[in-house]
Amino acid sequence: MTAKKKILLIDDDKDFLYATKLILEKGGYEVFLAEDGKRGVEMWKSVSPDLAIIDMMMETWGEGFSVLKKIRATDTGKDTPLFMLSAVDLQGPYQSFTPPEDFPKVNMVLHKPVKAEDLLKYVSRALGEK
Amino acid sequence: MMDRKPLILIIDDEESLRDGCRQTLEKSGYAVLTAGEGVEGIKIAREHKPEVVYIDLKMPGISGMEIIEILSRDIPDIVLVMITGYATIISAVEAMQKGSYDYLPKPFSPDQLRALTRRALEHRILKMETKRLREEKERMEKNFITFVSHEMRSPLVVIQQYIESLKVIAGDRFDKEATDIIERCGKRIESLAEMIEHWLDISRIEEGTFAQKKYPLNLCNLIARSAEEMSPLCKERGITMGIQAPESVPTIVGDEESLTRVFTNIIGNAIKYTPEGGKIMISVENDEYYVTVSIADTGSGVPADKLPFIFEPFFRVRGKNERHRGSGLGLTFCKKIMDSHGGEIGATSREGEGTTFVLKFPAQLSLIRKTSQSLSQS
Repeated sequence: MTAKKKILLIDDDKDFLYATKLILEKGGYEVFLAEDGKRGVEMWKSVSPDLAIIDMMMETWGEGFSVLKKIRATDTGKDTPLFMLSAVDLQGPYQSFTPPEDFPKVNMVLHKPVKAEDLLKYVSRALGEK
Repeated sequence: MMDRKPLILIIDDEESLRDGCRQTLEKSGYAVLTAGEGVEGIKIAREHKPEVVYIDLKMPGISGMEIIEILSRDIPDIVLVMITGYATIISAVEAMQKGSYDYLPKPFSPDQLRALTRRALEHRILKMETKRLREEKERMEKNFITFVSHEMRSPLVVIQQYIESLKVIAGDRFDKEATDIIERCGKRIESLAEMIEHWLDISRIEEGTFAQKKYPLNLCNLIARSAEEMSPLCKERGITMGIQAPESVPTIVGDEESLTRVFTNIIGNAIKYTPEGGKIMISVENDEYYVTVSIADTGSGVPADKLPFIFEPFFRVRGKNERHRGSGLGLTFCKKIMDSHGGEIGATSREGEGTTFVLKFPAQLSLIRKTSQSLSQS
């Protein structure tokens, strides 16, 4: 049996982490949770997951992006699929946000809440599974 | 707050008084500027923005009262004190009404001047603080919508995510009855989320912060796209949908995103209330000034006594037990968006035969035509 693929979830809402973990575990993944950006980056280095899902809006607007940047800057982070989660209100003040030119690559932006089947589908696609 | 010494301006035509004040105040650690008459005084005040200005009421040229009036209007943060040689209640009251903080009757002692200056500066701090608080309050009111949107949504999102996870693990652990309940919970939470969404949209439209980017656009294309978006649902329900439009229609000026939502909303409504085998017909007509879109269904219709209320928030045609639950705000949203486009929306209906929504948009007029129109009107 091959080892389970590892997914790192970074979000400052414990409940959201737990709910999402349940879904991903059901999909057969090993799931690691980080409740803030700092821990997220640390765990990225210690766990070296196959994929990470990062909340855009933790504590401060934009923390998710700085986490993304830090992870992309690591050796293992260059080509690993990274998803961003957004619960931002598309009509709200963030509508105008456009990532800068040199912005690190995001493989997928998921809108909260994420349907279980969608989540599993996108994750498995990004990991190159059937 | 400020690193520099508090700046006091004295406007008085009496040189000895100016010098006396300057000496007293400079000794107390204030910076002092003086002016011998009104126009110069106003110029200095505008340029240097002093904290406190002493103004002699009776001077040749522009009067102290006028200076008070001008400065309190020009520089709202400034504290004005009137100096008067013949202090009458009436002139004092008038000066206070015009925006002066207090008055100093001549002759006055250095102590009196110092005490009043201290008090005036304290008053200014309070004034600034009040202003800051008022601005803060206004900012908070403006942010309220954003705040609510975030604070209400976060718990909802989590509950929705839990329900998603429950659905995934339910198969192994729960029987059909329990999974049904989960399913129902999910549906109700979803409509709650939708209701909040719509409520926020409407609040934003009312507040004027709803982001709309209005450009000239072709309504026919927009309608075709909206219809296409809704066509899978139509098929699913066994309803046919047709569009009838002239070859070309005048452009209108509008926000593509919100207008698309208006059309998908109305079409969605039509689908909701039309039985299988029914028909939805969208037709576009125009004259020189208006583009009119009708969306007619062969659905259950709206009773005549309820028709006038369908654009009211939370109004439901079939009461509380309506089978098709929506946010109750969809049509209110459509109406607000139409209003913000200078358009109109209305509906006619026959119970059991169907409902027709009519949306009327002002066509984009060319400038020349607009001018000739306004000329002929005048």
